[in-house]
Amino acid sequence: MSSELESKELHVCMGLNSCKNSGYSGKNDCAGLGDCATAVNHPCHTLNSCKGQGACGIFGTTEEFCHPGENDCRYQGSCGVPILNSRFIAQGPNKGRSVWLLARARFEQKRDANKENYGEAPLPFGPTEDYVNKLRGTTGQNYSSCSQSGSRACSYSNDKALRAVEKDARVLNMNLKSKALMPDTLSTCPPKNEK
Amino acid sequence: MSTQKLFKFDTEVTPDNLEDVMQQAITLELATIPTYLSTYYSINRAQDQDQLYAKLHNQLSASGKRNKEDIDKLAQELKLDILVYSNKSAALTMSVVIEEMLHLALSCNVKQAVCQVAPDLMSIGKILRFPTQLDGHEPEFTINAAKLSLNQLTTFLQIESPQPFVDPNTILLRQAKVEYHTIGLLYEKIMKCISDNFPGPYKKRPQLLPPETGSGPRPFYSQNSMNTVHYDRDHNPHFANENDSGELVGVYDSQSAIEALHFIVEQGEGSTTKQNEKPQHTLKWGPDKMPIPMNIIVDENNVPKAEFWEGDYEDEGKELAHFAKFLEAYSLGRYYENKFKDIEGLDDFYSYFVYNQASNPTQADYENPNGGNIALALANKLGSAVFAYILLMIETCYYEEEDTQYDLFMFGIHKSMIWLLSETGNHINSYTYTKDNKEYNGALSFEPFSFEKSSLRPKEQILAILDELGKADHYWKDWGDNYFPSLPDVGTDHSIIKNVPDVPSTPFTH
Repeated sequence: MSSELESKELHVCMGLNSCKNSGYSGKNDCAGLGDCATAVNHPCHTLNSCKGQGACGIFGTTEEFCHPGENDCRYQGSCGVPILNSRFIAQGPNKGRSVWLLARARFEQKRDANKENYGEAPLPFGPTEDYVNKLRGTTGQNYSSCSQSGSRACSYSNDKALRAVEKDARVLNMNLKSKALMPDTLSTCPPKNEK
Repeated sequence: MSTQKLFKFDTEVTPDNLEDVMQQAITLELATIPTYLSTYYSINRAQDQDQLYAKLHNQLSASGKRNKEDIDKLAQELKLDILVYSNKSAALTMSVVIEEMLHLALSCNVKQAVCQVAPDLMSIGKILRFPTQLDGHEPEFTINAAKLSLNQLTTFLQIESPQPFVDPNTILLRQAKVEYHTIGLLYEKIMKCISDNFPGPYKKRPQLLPPETGSGPRPFYSQNSMNTVHYDRDHNPHFANENDSGELVGVYDSQSAIEALHFIVEQGEGSTTKQNEKPQHTLKWGPDKMPIPMNIIVDENNVPKAEFWEGDYEDEGKELAHFAKFLEAYSLGRYYENKFKDIEGLDDFYSYFVYNQASNPTQADYENPNGGNIALALANKLGSAVFAYILLMIETCYYEEEDTQYDLFMFGIHKSMIWLLSETGNHINSYTYTKDNKEYNGALSFEPFSFEKSSLRPKEQILAILDELGKADHYWKDWGDNYFPSLPDVGTDHSIIKNVPDVPSTPFTH
C-alpha cells in the first residue's frame, strides 16, 4: 500500500470524510465537508485497493448496492470512485435512485449513532464531473466509472446549450426524487451490523 | 463452413442416461453465452451523437430534395432511432446473457445434486466452436457467432422458441430420430425423469446458492447491471431485467430440482403450465422465410412501440421472456430497416451502429500472414483464454466450499466478466484484418483454448499472452494495472494457489 494510503482517511466521495482536513484537497473544517474522494481512483467492481474504497450502483448485487463505501476489504468494492451526482443504482428495489445520497445517508447514520458532529457536504447531491475535473486540475476527464450503456447524465437534444440544461435538469430530478424516497431506500437496506 | 455438433442426444431421458443428458443441458446453456456475447460486442451502443447527426444530415442533404428545416428535423429523428434502438437491443441481449449465466448455474446445481457428479464445463469449452448447432433439436439450425442483424436475431428466436417450429430455410436432412422440438420440451423430459426416479433428499455437495438469512454473503448472481440499462428518447433510464426475475436455487430434492429447471424454461420461453392459456407470441414464418414481427404501433411523434401479449411475460413477474425480448429487437429492427430503406441517401440501418465483423471468425484468420493482424490475433487469444478461465473458475466452484466460491467470484469471475472479457471483446473491434479481399473489424472468436498445452498454470499463461500483446500494441502494456495479476490462481485440476487476501468480517476461513 502506498504511503499516501497509510496517511489518509480513505473515503469514496465528497461529504463522506470523518475528520477535519480529510477531504481530497485537505482543506475542510470538519466531518462531512470534504470535497472529494481520497480513495485511490479505480473504475469498477472489485478493483478497489482497500477497505472502504468500493463505491456502488453499477455492477454488483442488491445487497452490495445498499452499502456504498462500506466494503470490508480490498477487491470487495462494488464500483468505481468518485461517485458522481448522476450515478444511480442499477439493481434492486432502489433502482434508479442516487448512489451518493445513499452513501451520505449511511455516513450520517453512523455519525448520529456515535453522537458525532458533521457539516453539510459542499454540494447537496454530490459532485458533478466538471467539479471533480476542476478540483483535480484535469480537463474533460471521464470520472463516471465503467459501463457500456453510455453516459448517465446526458440528453439527446441537438442544441448543445439545451442539452446541458436538460442533462442537469434530469440529474436534479433524479436526486430530488431519491432524496424524497430516502426513508424507503433505507428501509430496504439495513445497516451491515443489523443483519 | 461445416457446423460443429455439440453433442449427440439420446432418444429418451432415463435414470441411466440422466447424467449425460444433464451434461448436454449444461452444454446447451453454456453455448448460448458466447453466441449472445459475440452479438452484444458487435454493437456500438453509445456512439458520438453529434458525429452521427452530422453524417445523417449530410446524407439527407445530398439528394437536394428537402429544405433545411425538414432535414434538421429528420436527422434528429433518425439519430434518436439509431441511438435508442442500438442501446436497447444491446441491453436486452446483455440481460439475456446474464440470465443464461444463471441457467448455466441452475443446470450445474441440478447435475451436482441429482446425479452426484460435478459439471464438466472445461470439456464443453474444448469442443465449442462456431458455427455450431443444437444436435437433437428438430429442426436443426445453424448458430453463428455473428454481429447483430435480423438474421442473427432470427437464430436467437429459434434458440428461445416456446413452440415447435419448422425452419423454412432448412431442407429436412435429418436421419436421426426426433428428440426434442424446443429447449423447454427437453427440460420437461428431464423434470419427469427426476420426478419419477430421483425424489431425494440428495447428498450434500458444493453448489452455487442464493443469499439466505443467516448465511454468509453469496454475491453470485445479480439480475441487472449498468450494462442492462438503456435510455429512451428523453434519456430516461430503463432496466431490462426485473429485480425478482429468477435467482439461484439450491437443489436438495426433486421439488427443488424441478423448481430450478422450471426457472430456466420460464425465463427462456415465457410459457409454463400456468401460462399456456394466455396469448403468447411464437415463431411464425412469413412468405419471405423470415419471422413474422410483432405488431408495431407508431405514435404521433413517429416513435414505434412493440405490442406485447400477456403470455410473453414470465408467470408471476413483469419481465419479458428471452423469446419476447429478442422478438421485440427483431420487430423494431425490421421496422427501422424498412424506414431507412425508404429514405433516399441513407445506408442500411444496422450499418450505423454495428461493427463490420465477419461471422464465425477464427484465430487462423487473424494469424494469416496474408491479411491477418498480430495484435488482433493476440487479443483474440487473450479473449479465448479469459473465457476458458471463467469456465474453469465456475467449474472449480463445484469442488469447493462457500468461502472459496466467494473468493473465486469476488476476485475472479466478476472481474473477468465485467472487465477483462468485456474490455477484450469491445477493444478487439478497433483492429482490422482482411479475408477473401474484404476488410473486417476484429471480433472474439470464442474458440477452444486448452490450458493443458503448456506446463504453466492457466493464470501464468494468460499473463504471458497479455505480456506479448502489450509488446504488439502499447494500448495493453499498462492496461488495467493489476487487474490480471490479481486474478485467483486456479489450476486445471481445480487446485488454488492462494494469492489473494483473506476477507475479514466474514464467517469464512481460508
